[in-house]
Amino acid sequence: MAATSLLEVGIMLAAIAIGGSVASRLGQSVIPFYVVTGILVGPEALGRLTALHVSSGEFVEVLAELGIVFLLFFLGLEFSLDRLLANRQRITAAGTVDLLINFPVGVLIGLALGWSLTEAMFLGGIVYISSSAVITKSLIDLGWIANDESDPMLGTLVFEDLAIAVYLTLMSAVVLDSGDLADVLTDLVVAMGFLLALLAVAHYGTSLVERLVAAETQELRLLRSAAVTVLAGGIALELGVSEAVAAFFVGMAVGSTSDSDAVEHLLMPIRDLFAAVFFFWIGLETDPAALVATAGLLALLVALTTPTKLVSGYLGGRSYDLDARRSFRVGAGMVTRGEFSLVIATLAAAGGTEVLRDTIPSVTVGYVLVMSVLGTTLMQYSDAVWDRLPAP
Amino acid sequence: MAVYESDLPGVGKKFEIDLNDESQLVVVIHNTGKRELFLRPEPNADSEKLFELSDKLARQVGTIMEGAYFQPIQTDTIETVISEDSLIEWVKLTDDSPVAGRTLRDARIRQETGASIIAVQRGDETITNPAPDTELRPDDTLVAVGSREEHDELQAYVTG
Repeated sequence: MAATSLLEVGIMLAAIAIGGSVASRLGQSVIPFYVVTGILVGPEALGRLTALHVSSGEFVEVLAELGIVFLLFFLGLEFSLDRLLANRQRITAAGTVDLLINFPVGVLIGLALGWSLTEAMFLGGIVYISSSAVITKSLIDLGWIANDESDPMLGTLVFEDLAIAVYLTLMSAVVLDSGDLADVLTDLVVAMGFLLALLAVAHYGTSLVERLVAAETQELRLLRSAAVTVLAGGIALELGVSEAVAAFFVGMAVGSTSDSDAVEHLLMPIRDLFAAVFFFWIGLETDPAALVATAGLLALLVALTTPTKLVSGYLGGRSYDLDARRSFRVGAGMVTRGEFSLVIATLAAAGGTEVLRDTIPSVTVGYVLVMSVLGTTLMQYSDAVWDRLPAP
Repeated sequence: MAVYESDLPGVGKKFEIDLNDESQLVVVIHNTGKRELFLRPEPNADSEKLFELSDKLARQVGTIMEGAYFQPIQTDTIETVISEDSLIEWVKLTDDSPVAGRTLRDARIRQETGASIIAVQRGDETITNPAPDTELRPDDTLVAVGSREEHDELQAYVTG
């Protein structure tokens, strides 16, 4: 694999910056735009016209991995077990409905296509998980954050966060191991052990974590917290555990220390940079031809999994005692899929079968592009849509 | 009055404050420090965004509303409070002011009103600690120090 030149990195950053600017000019989420930017300046589009394009080298891939790690680190940082427990009845009700309606639909679609259970499970995860980043931003932009519908939406997202951590643990044990069932089980035990240890540190070792990240200067605090996060992710990957989940738990651990706010402030620009590269890299890895080839499957997914989120969100809103209109808004808001579907697809791509390597990543890119635009638009016009629905 | 506090995971905190009528004031404090204020006219209505403030500005406005930022004084002129009963005020002379055209000594301002003239502003120039033979002209602004009553006397005396 060719080394990545500084010029390529420059082109990459410029392209991402332009993509982001276009997105904000259009009032859309940046995520699909970063992905499309990646497709456009990658080897399959710009690369066919000119030698000057960004090729998917190891360097960009490592940056993208850092993006995953920091995305999940922030998810953990914001995630509060106490909050989940304090509000557990409502969050569990809304979250369980969300899981039980959306996840099986994806699995069933996969099985109906004749895929293996593992492949179908990946599809289940991809259509299940809503986009925290995009939905939260839309909530703020639309001013819904001050309304009652923000509670079930954010509550469900918290539930999904925990579900995705468990899910990634299971799936990475399955994928990162090509051996027989016994090997998978051993790996699962190692993975669970490692994660339980991290969880124990997160919960009981607050003072230890505090000592690890606390430092006199901003510079040292930044370096230490970044080091702890990336190291934990790296070790996890070596052990056959999802680096994303490890980062999630490190985030949780740091989130319970008194340095939480300072670390969040320091690492936010780093997350924004690497996460943008991650979405860009997804585009870079995507062959537009493969995207076209999966158009049929994409249409099927969009047609089937938009209504499921509308229904599960509606029921979730109802379980928070919201009226019908507001509950519909919750459903409309949850339609958006984004960063975590892409993280799952990235994990799938490490698998051995053709479906895991090619079909799932391609269809997920298309799916996230469609769902993030469709979801934000649906949210904007949810009241108009609701008015047109036949009265129940 | 009831205040409801709730967490907004990934965003910050939300406070809902019952106002005297049916309406609610909703304050969203973002993790970034930004504050957004919303008004919800009635319990089932949508929140209408009023405005947003930066962290620093929100703190200043907060202390003003608390009454701690400064003590408001009922006044319709510019004044600066030095201590409880002495303040600095500005008074502008007009063409028909009885002191216009006289020197500071002849005008007998301190003897008549009790207020002391500490400076005279004339156009862009400021004469600080004016001498007794400084001539007062129309359009001069006198800067005086004294009690509130003395300032009232001064105002009446120089405007005639």
